[in-house]
Amino acid sequence: MTTDKVFQGIRVADFAWVGVGPLVSKYLADHGAEVIRIESSVRPEPLRRAPPFVNDEPGLDNSGYYADFNSSKKCVSLNLQHPDGVKIAKRIVEHCDIVTESFTPKAMRAWGMTYEDLCEIRPDLIMISMPMYGLTGPWSMWQGYGHVLQAAAGISHLTAYPDEEPIGTGVAYTDFLVPHFATSAVIAALDHRQRTGEGQNIDFGQMEAAIHATETMILDYTVNGREQQALGAGHPDHDIYGTWQCAARGDDDDRWIAITVTSNDELASLAEVAEQPGWTSLESESLKQQIADWTRTQQAEDLMQRLQSAGVPAGVVQTPEDLRSDPQLAHRGHFWMLDHPTMGHRAYDGPSFRLSETPAELTKAAPLLGEDNESVYKNIVGMSDEEYIEHLVSGAFD
Amino acid sequence: MTTQTAAGPLAPFRVLDLTNELGQFAGRMLGDLGAEVIKVEPPGGDESRFIGPFRGDVVDPEQSLHWWTFNNNKLGATLDLTTLRGQELFSQLLEQADFLVETCPPDAAAALGLGAENIRSEHPSLVHTSITPFGREGPYANWKATDLVGTAMGGLSSLCGAPGRPPIRPTASQGYTQASAQAVVGTMIAHFQRTKTGRGQHVDQSMQEAVTFTHDNAMPTWDIRGINNGRPGNGRQIGGYKSGQYVYEAADGYVAALSYGGLFGLTARQTVEWLDHHGMAGDLTSDEWMAKLDATQGVLIPPAGEDGDYLNDTLVAFCKQFTRSQLVAEAQQIRNGWGIVHTPGDLLENEHLADRDYWVDVQHQEAHLSYPGPWAKLSKTPLSVRHRAPHIGEHNFYVYGNLLGFSDDEIMALSDDGVI
Repeated sequence: MTTDKVFQGIRVADFAWVGVGPLVSKYLADHGAEVIRIESSVRPEPLRRAPPFVNDEPGLDNSGYYADFNSSKKCVSLNLQHPDGVKIAKRIVEHCDIVTESFTPKAMRAWGMTYEDLCEIRPDLIMISMPMYGLTGPWSMWQGYGHVLQAAAGISHLTAYPDEEPIGTGVAYTDFLVPHFATSAVIAALDHRQRTGEGQNIDFGQMEAAIHATETMILDYTVNGREQQALGAGHPDHDIYGTWQCAARGDDDDRWIAITVTSNDELASLAEVAEQPGWTSLESESLKQQIADWTRTQQAEDLMQRLQSAGVPAGVVQTPEDLRSDPQLAHRGHFWMLDHPTMGHRAYDGPSFRLSETPAELTKAAPLLGEDNESVYKNIVGMSDEEYIEHLVSGAFD
Repeated sequence: MTTQTAAGPLAPFRVLDLTNELGQFAGRMLGDLGAEVIKVEPPGGDESRFIGPFRGDVVDPEQSLHWWTFNNNKLGATLDLTTLRGQELFSQLLEQADFLVETCPPDAAAALGLGAENIRSEHPSLVHTSITPFGREGPYANWKATDLVGTAMGGLSSLCGAPGRPPIRPTASQGYTQASAQAVVGTMIAHFQRTKTGRGQHVDQSMQEAVTFTHDNAMPTWDIRGINNGRPGNGRQIGGYKSGQYVYEAADGYVAALSYGGLFGLTARQTVEWLDHHGMAGDLTSDEWMAKLDATQGVLIPPAGEDGDYLNDTLVAFCKQFTRSQLVAEAQQIRNGWGIVHTPGDLLENEHLADRDYWVDVQHQEAHLSYPGPWAKLSKTPLSVRHRAPHIGEHNFYVYGNLLGFSDDEIMALSDDGVI
């Protein structure tokens, strides 16, 4: 274990909320950056009010949704509507290398905390703004969530049963897509600053990044004039490419396996596992039904093992419960168990890659709202005891 | 189209890209960031040149839109890595490179000289990124996976589709996209560390694990409440609580409503006023309903049962009366973060993206074609879409001549021998 973490010495003022911004700063925090979340109880970070709550008891320090995205971070409370709020925020920024935010553009403008404003305090600042639709343009003031943005970016159009309404993924999908782009841009800017001393501003329109996740949808339209359509679980080039229901596990009848056959060799292997020598043509109309009849009698996990042993790409449609006991994810140590003062011993996601020399380390559970007020305001910002108490009493830290 | 003069942040760096469809978007992203990316293909062309769709639906390795989408901003060189001479040349190329991104199956890596330890000892300053279905090591390391198997094993498919119907996937491959995009984050972290120490490292990316990262709140929901979120169909869910409808039919297509069904949460009163303004709020303006809606405001848990049905039915009837643009513009006025469900045609015609100069004309032999533009706007080191994907072996003379110092005759000889 190295003591010199990748982002050691890099301090981040994190004004972002919900999914995208916190996941960007989570990457930085889990690799050693000192991330200070700036939140308020007056207008709380929405995820602190979103379930699941421990014991089903709503509370700003009790949301598992918030917790998972905010490992390894500090948190101060600061009311930016308070007369001293913005002044204090700027004093935090003065000591930071990176500012992240995900409001609609009017918020930072109203507070006098645009990149241009903050550069006066910190000339080599790297700032990333991550509104849905970017900092400029006719829709720049529109807000939204990842559920909606997947639709706006064209992903929902491609996520549906054939010829049915575009339901999209069941998750706020772009929240778990665009942070990878944004983080890569921030680190690239950090690398540039390391080499040249020059900071910069990043205008990150979430929709513009998310459109890159539509594969060939754009070129098929611009080149061939064709609007690609959703195919359920299917694939445009492969007939045997889908999810099939398996035998019940206990009283759980919702067990499914993904099986994909993209070559005649794989079809032969499938036929051998199924003991169906007649399965010889990928274009046979009845083949899908025969596979369905067969998988209905099979246990999903057992079938996956046998198909993979025979070289057929197949995998259980794993539920969250399955993921927690998945031997491969366990081997890689995906889930980190961390102790939280009010939520107890809980699982957190670590990054999905393994760095051989400087692996991620989730150093602590999510912060309580305002947990680090005293240390940040006194030790980093430099407030005296007297000034700290004055702001506390005046409500600046609400 | 704007002309960019400043270079991207990774302009000083070179990438060797040895990826198939699982990982080629990673090399693309590094190219978008300004790096010189050299795609190394077997003589005769990469397999992914044969993935459709094709221009004019003619199967041709130079006309694959899949190839074009994922390999623009890259140069192309051919090399037969199954030959000893090919491996020698590859090792020489690695000496000239800062990054290697590859999708070699774990059980074949050592034989091709792509073992993590081997690369680290021979090229200690290289950042070496492996993208594989399940990771380089572990019980499933040598299992095979297509995109659907990745989205299934990573948990996303269990959250996609409708109850009682088969789990689905986005028809645009998200397992591959997530594996590639998250690999770039790991690659950039390793790169930043190298700027401090001069030492590279191995980045081991798993597609399954990348997909697991997309579960939203499903893992804490299982961890805390013991509930599998499951497939919501045309609805949403949060923390194991089901919401009402999510996508609504407008007069000219679909809109996506605020994540909990549109009438719940923080803007319930404003939403009722909005419907009432159009004379379509039904009973929702009653004191009884207002009290119920106010009660949902402290916590983002949607109402269920008959009340939820009534809210949805009211919205369904309302949305059908208006165009998508009108609905979303008015919803945004009251801070409801609704959006339009865009088709590809909608996106290309979108005034906002046009205003932001998003689309880029890329020159091909016969035509200029519109591509999605940069995915971030960096003020000092802009990202760019500089050129189309390479033809087979298009940059062999640059790669083997300029970088490795071979003469034209020597390059021709390598070609005649089938090495390149």
